[in-house]
Amino acid sequence: MRIETLLFKEIVILPELFLGISLVYLVLHCTFLAIKKNYPLIQNSVLYLGVLVLFLSCFLVLNDGLDVLEQSVLNDTIVNDYLSFFSKLVIGSLSLFCLLMIQPYLTSQKINQFEYILLILFAVLGLFLLCSSNDLLTAYLAIELQSLAFYVLASFKKNSTHSVDAGIKYFILGAFSSSLFLFGSSLLYGVTGTINFEEFKDLFVNVFPGNHDVILNEISLFDFSLVQFGLVFILISLLFKLAIAPFHTWAPDVYEGSPSSSTFFFSVVPKLAIFVLLLRIFYYSFFGFFESWRYFIVIVVVLSIIVGSFGGLEQRKLKSLLVYSSISHMGYALIAFSAGTFESIQMLLCYLVVYSFSGLCVWSIFILTRLKNNHLQKQNKDLTDLVLLGKSNYMLAIFFTTVLFSVAGFPPMIGFLVKISVFLTAIESSMFFVVLISILCSVVGTFYYIRLIKILYFEKVLVGKLYYPIQVQSSVLISLLFFLFLFLFINPTLLYLFSYKISLLVSTAV
Amino acid sequence: MLYIKNILSCILVLPLIGAFILSFIPSSSRSLLRSIALNCSCLTFVLSLLLWVFFNKSVGTFQFTENFFWVPILNLNFSIGIDGISLFFILLTTLLIPICLLASWDTIQVDLKKYLISFLVMEFFLIGVFCTLDLLFFYIFFESVLIPMFLIIGIWGSRERKIRAAYFFFLYTLLGSVLMLLSILYIYYQVGTTDYEVLLTFSFSPLEQKIMWFAFFASFATKVPMVPVHLWLPEAHVEAPTAGSVILAGVLLKLGTYGFIRFSFPLFPEACFYFAPFVYAMSVVGIVYTSFTAIRQSDFKRIIAYTSVAHMNLVMVGLFSFNVIGLEGAILQSLSHGFVASALFLIIGVVYDRHHTRMVKYYGGLVHTMPIYVFIFLFFTMSNIGLPGTGSFVGEFLILTGSFKANTTVTFLSATGMIIGGCYSLWLFNRIAYGNLKTQYFKNYLDINKREFLIFFPLLLGTLVMGIYPNIFLNSIHFSTNMLVEFMYF
Repeated sequence: MRIETLLFKEIVILPELFLGISLVYLVLHCTFLAIKKNYPLIQNSVLYLGVLVLFLSCFLVLNDGLDVLEQSVLNDTIVNDYLSFFSKLVIGSLSLFCLLMIQPYLTSQKINQFEYILLILFAVLGLFLLCSSNDLLTAYLAIELQSLAFYVLASFKKNSTHSVDAGIKYFILGAFSSSLFLFGSSLLYGVTGTINFEEFKDLFVNVFPGNHDVILNEISLFDFSLVQFGLVFILISLLFKLAIAPFHTWAPDVYEGSPSSSTFFFSVVPKLAIFVLLLRIFYYSFFGFFESWRYFIVIVVVLSIIVGSFGGLEQRKLKSLLVYSSISHMGYALIAFSAGTFESIQMLLCYLVVYSFSGLCVWSIFILTRLKNNHLQKQNKDLTDLVLLGKSNYMLAIFFTTVLFSVAGFPPMIGFLVKISVFLTAIESSMFFVVLISILCSVVGTFYYIRLIKILYFEKVLVGKLYYPIQVQSSVLISLLFFLFLFLFINPTLLYLFSYKISLLVSTAV
Repeated sequence: MLYIKNILSCILVLPLIGAFILSFIPSSSRSLLRSIALNCSCLTFVLSLLLWVFFNKSVGTFQFTENFFWVPILNLNFSIGIDGISLFFILLTTLLIPICLLASWDTIQVDLKKYLISFLVMEFFLIGVFCTLDLLFFYIFFESVLIPMFLIIGIWGSRERKIRAAYFFFLYTLLGSVLMLLSILYIYYQVGTTDYEVLLTFSFSPLEQKIMWFAFFASFATKVPMVPVHLWLPEAHVEAPTAGSVILAGVLLKLGTYGFIRFSFPLFPEACFYFAPFVYAMSVVGIVYTSFTAIRQSDFKRIIAYTSVAHMNLVMVGLFSFNVIGLEGAILQSLSHGFVASALFLIIGVVYDRHHTRMVKYYGGLVHTMPIYVFIFLFFTMSNIGLPGTGSFVGEFLILTGSFKANTTVTFLSATGMIIGGCYSLWLFNRIAYGNLKTQYFKNYLDINKREFLIFFPLLLGTLVMGIYPNIFLNSIHFSTNMLVEFMYF
């Protein structure tokens, strides 16, 4: 009887269990196979096995998410709700695309070790756990699992000093920010005696935005300033992970130095999971302290949008351009986060999903275009290397243009709709000045996207770098993404419905 | 009769269908591509003529209205419909697109397929701007027009400065319109919808009106263009290919005036009255300054570009007279400017195709070798000045009559613009058409061919009809304008 109920309850974390067990199996499989067989076989087999495992875990997520609503298991450390279901689905499909897209790059760059794929899968496991973590320690462990995988991924090219340099930088700053997270958690634990999000919510059920000073006088059960102190540490640590402006200085170095496939992965996939954690902590548990963390975030938003928009103007390398673009986009996402209304959660999630998919598109174009006659095996493309892309890879250039307009938030694309939704939530909570600054900075940001389009089409040069045509499987994936984009603009209701359900769940406190 | 209800959405999607078909045809079969694009745009034009035929002239409300759900959860829907004001702008667009395609029949050598697709997509966006009854969709279409135009200037522009021109065009317009976006979001937040007919029933407080009027003004004034932000226009005109200039002068500049009529006037009437002297001042400065600037240009296209600015500023004076005569004159002048300026750019295109220069000093005495061309040139120069019998005369006369009621000084000052207009137009015509034939520069001369005559013929006819019997147009405009003016005063 007891075993039966246990199994029935634990089945909720089946996707993670399946992914973890398969990973253990894959490690064994690769280690034993590596002794006998040589490189291409094992590389390909582990890639396709990895894709299969990921696909099945996504399928499992889809399977149990449809009827299960809110269930917490394992002493309330793991929760399975609509938020985790949705984010896991998105993260799973993003990493699936990622794995398939980087395959030609790995072959061409001679990254032959099977560990690469396994590390990506470990990171996905960490992200899955992060999405459904229900207390601070589980969240910390999940963050560490994914971060450790990222550190290794960043320094994977052992013979390149840039890559090793990036790995070390990423490791030091990542460890630093993780320690901030731990410190914040310990403060919270010291004050309240719990680390569970649900219990936090129950503890602070009487605290509403704007009135915690009143409560402080009435019942001095906790030292509220210490709670705020702990929250700030946690916030800073998570902003470090997101590379938001004052904490972004590691990002350009790390993103440029790492192998492009790793950068691709850790610039696109983990953002959503970290935002899920932010939502859980700051909206679900500690919404009563909204007034105290809001202004901090508003300052950070303005800074990161300005840095992202103006910093990108002077970049000559595509990768660093994308870094700055991601900094400003995270700023836009945080605008919605700082609005603190019911709609803001909805718009935040819509923005993040669309941002992740457009990031996926841009990066896959970056990864898939391989230069002909590239003796130096230069892995970081200059912007001007794209000059002949419009001629040699005609359809790819059109796709790139469409995605760039969408990323810039230009009207007939889905990027526009989600961007104005974000601004709308900010206007609803009277943040006019922030919106004005960010909307003007977005014009500056548009400049560097249209500069890319200029390079693609306008220049009449006959000397330039040619590209190999991309593989059939990648082109199928890319056209799939393209139609996703078109479909999302014509019928965005699906996206908004999903996020509506989630915001119903998260915003119980709002 | 049953399907006449859906004719507007047919007109809207037809160019898009054409572009979709074009994308499947190999780029090597050039004649097939061209004929499909031309047929598609001509069909759109015929359908829009049907729109005019079935248009009910005796009501001022919206007709042919249709509604489509887009994001019901956010209460954003796509609704279309036309009234007398937007009808002729749609007709102007659908007329000019086939003319543009014909004008660039042989001249576009590279990427013909992309060129045709961008024109058809642009037609879709432009018709969308004029027929949408939703503020957010108006913004979407208004901004989307930038993308094909940016590509047209950048890819098929003629010289090295084209990149700078394309940037100018893109960023000036974008910077203006993001402010409009901000106030659209505010309107949505206040009203809860962006549906035009609902917005008409809502009245904003005077302070809100002033701020939002200014945000809208920033966007529309850049498009018109008013003087301090007109710098993108000469650049864009000079660098764009002929067809690009035609659509830029013919339709894109009208987006600004159309935006004023459609949105600024009924939504923020008090702010309009409040800011009218400001607009007058800017328009008068624009008229006089750009007319004088036009005299000292050496580039053929630049001259016409500056005259465009002057004429559009005259339209602004007509709009802000806030009476039926002035408004009707402004609409009519917009239309006739759409015909005349387009024709003048096409005239430049004809000689540019033959000699590949636009410098006035290389031309001279064309009347000896190209008589038909010079006749057409003379006709459109005269209508540019506003000769009685052409559409511009009717438009300018109505504008000045209307503004005379509102502000006599402004009428006086803007009428001087017409005199200076006579100066530069006649000066230009004199240099190009008369004098000695400059055989040291050009050896071969060829008068216009059948295709080019076909391009000019509808424009010539339209200008004449508008000048001789303007009631054909005014009949349909009248009720809508009346409603607008009544709406503003009450």
